[in-house]
Amino acid sequence: MSKPTGRYSWWAPYLFISPFVILFAVFTVYPLIYSVVMAMQQNNGPRATAFVGLSNFKWVLTDPDFIKALKNTFVFAAGSIFVQLPASLGLALLLNRPDVRARGFWRLIFFAPVLVGLAFVAIMFGLIFNKTNGLLNKMLVLLTDWIPGWTWNPEFPWLQEFIMPALIIAAFWMYVGFNMVYFLAALQNVSKDLLEAAEIDGANAWHRFLNVTIPAIRPIATFVVLLSFIGSMQLFELPFLLVGNGGGPNQQGLTVVMYLYDKGFNIGDLGYASAIGWILAMILFAFAMLQKYLGRVEDR
Amino acid sequence: MADSESKATLGGKGWRPLDTLSIGGWIILFIAVASTIAVTVWPEKEIEGVQVWVFARNHAELYDVLAQEYNADADAGDTSRLNITTIDNDALTRRVLSGFWSNTPLADLIEIERDKMTQFVTGPLEHVGFTDLTDRIMAEGLDKKINYPSFGPWTSRGRIFGLPHDVHPVLLCYRADLVEQAGIDVSEIETWDDFARVMKPLISDLDGDGRPDRYLLNLWYSQMGELEVLLLQAGGGTFDENDNSLVASDANVMVVAQSVAWMVGPERIAIDAPEFDASGNQLKLDGRVVAVVMPDWLAGVWKSDLSQLGGKLKLMPLPAWEPGGRRTSVRGGTMIGIPKATEDFETAWQIAKYLYISPELSERLFEASNIISPVTEFWDEDYYKQPDPFFSGQASGTAFIEQAPNVPFRSSNPFHVMARNRIADAVTDLYAEASGGNVVGPDGKKIPADEVTSDLLEDRARELLQAAEARLLKEMSRNVFLKRDREAEDE
Repeated sequence: MSKPTGRYSWWAPYLFISPFVILFAVFTVYPLIYSVVMAMQQNNGPRATAFVGLSNFKWVLTDPDFIKALKNTFVFAAGSIFVQLPASLGLALLLNRPDVRARGFWRLIFFAPVLVGLAFVAIMFGLIFNKTNGLLNKMLVLLTDWIPGWTWNPEFPWLQEFIMPALIIAAFWMYVGFNMVYFLAALQNVSKDLLEAAEIDGANAWHRFLNVTIPAIRPIATFVVLLSFIGSMQLFELPFLLVGNGGGPNQQGLTVVMYLYDKGFNIGDLGYASAIGWILAMILFAFAMLQKYLGRVEDR
Repeated sequence: MADSESKATLGGKGWRPLDTLSIGGWIILFIAVASTIAVTVWPEKEIEGVQVWVFARNHAELYDVLAQEYNADADAGDTSRLNITTIDNDALTRRVLSGFWSNTPLADLIEIERDKMTQFVTGPLEHVGFTDLTDRIMAEGLDKKINYPSFGPWTSRGRIFGLPHDVHPVLLCYRADLVEQAGIDVSEIETWDDFARVMKPLISDLDGDGRPDRYLLNLWYSQMGELEVLLLQAGGGTFDENDNSLVASDANVMVVAQSVAWMVGPERIAIDAPEFDASGNQLKLDGRVVAVVMPDWLAGVWKSDLSQLGGKLKLMPLPAWEPGGRRTSVRGGTMIGIPKATEDFETAWQIAKYLYISPELSERLFEASNIISPVTEFWDEDYYKQPDPFFSGQASGTAFIEQAPNVPFRSSNPFHVMARNRIADAVTDLYAEASGGNVVGPDGKKIPADEVTSDLLEDRARELLQAAEARLLKEMSRNVFLKRDREAEDE
């Protein structure tokens, strides 16, 4: 092994890694450490600060608004994971079938909503969910007129009393096609040999799906679930634009990040906002660990 | 081979600088260096003169005219030029807050909206970014010249941080065409009970589906602006002048119970037709709303947004909550403040007075937006007394001015918005319980939604508001800065 020669050699490696190290230190490490310090302060903007120890964490964990925001966020995450992802998988299975005509076209149609900006989606769904003149209520009234014994309140207050279902529907429209693409990619890797072998052995479609397809797509499915959970926990723009800063009547649409934003940037208590941020980070970390642990257990 | 490679390396003897990057790399590096130099060296266009930031376009349009006149008269070159910039209300608030927090440049004069003001006074008084104008206002006698309640929203712990733009008294605006067609005499109305009784024949099914779709009053649990008008009228609201909580006051309990009863059950007179909303406006155009609580500024908004209703409307004082009670309330408001960092306070102060309390502004403000001046000596001016075709020939200015001295006090307590949100939560909960048939009556049985009345709702309204107040007080106790200020005051 030859030794590097030349007068600049000793510092060359440091020079090459310095852009990353400097940026990482200034924009990641320092803010991270400072946010821990701030989480132990009460602020009115960055200048007026008072050390309060761990009381911010104590307050956050007993703060009814935070608990409500956390509950709302988990409900949304559950909607994403248990409603949106199965639908994405179903769509992917359907559009993976060779006998479906114009598969490329349908894939594009279902994927297209994600290309639309969130602000536009919020404005559009604001009109769709409008109580008096909204498209959804009008459509449901027409639909229920056709079904004997069914009625629909023509002024169903989606954005006043059913904010979370409305948000889940809006997010469903936007992301179902996006997650479908992940599942489509995963389905390409399902061994055709195994599927054929299972068929020859007498396994029906459901058993082939359960015992061959699902195990094959599990790594991607796990990743999609994790991504979906993290995305849900960071939910901000959609409810912010659809129902406003406070989350609508009774804070039904208030999410953890909206609450963090309100405390930090409207009220100016950056310390309290930091404490909320750290609790959110811990929740995400715990979920990721739990998923990793469950994955290992299943592997064994 | 290895030897030739090592020559091209940084440490090698035959190192050639040009070989360290590819052509693409050199192009990117060149663009990066050139753009950095350009951005650094390029002269920044500085706006000369006095900067004013406003959040309302109609304010800006008015001030632009005043600014042109001022600039023509000023005759003092660029340093005293007046420049008006409009910024979205939320963006303006955040920009100003971050300017105060981080010492970044701000305008010399800044307009702040009533609900945003509390964000500027949550910390210690010495950290409020606006100049304390109290002594100047007193010294110049402006406290006597300006309608006193107008200072309320801009006052914190006894110190005034802005010059008020308005009074914003509230009247009842009703569909005179519908009322007169039904032969209803509004002079019989003194209280809200009278209003519900006398106007009741107007509640009707317009589309023949067997359910009423025209109601008497635009009010809903989700419209806290309208509800706050009623709370203040009754003597409730969020805080009194001594910063004591009014959240669970008797006035609030009565108004909340009555308002929810107006939305549910046999006493229903309310409909959800929000302002600044296409469907809300359509309901008003369709004649599905008989009356709304209308501050002076909303009259200006309706003239532009709902001009089709011109000649069909009339104004009257708000019905009182009890015979002989207050016939008006207040909603909204704006101030102009001078940041502490403003270099030339005197010029900024003169311009603030020119834009807010000059006779020139007063007339144009009313003509452009129906807003009456907070300066009481202008209230006798002729322009307020002119018949207004939009309100069926009534003198709308006089109608608002007659009630202006009676507008209720409004708190600028830093927790005002939080308190209002807590009341809103209580109203929402009460509505949900009442409409779901879950309110328990005096006999211990649940009251069906179609039997809910205000009397039956009062106990539950009180419980919910007391719980809301307890939460508010707990949250207030957390603020160490206000606690310190209070302790310092006590000492």
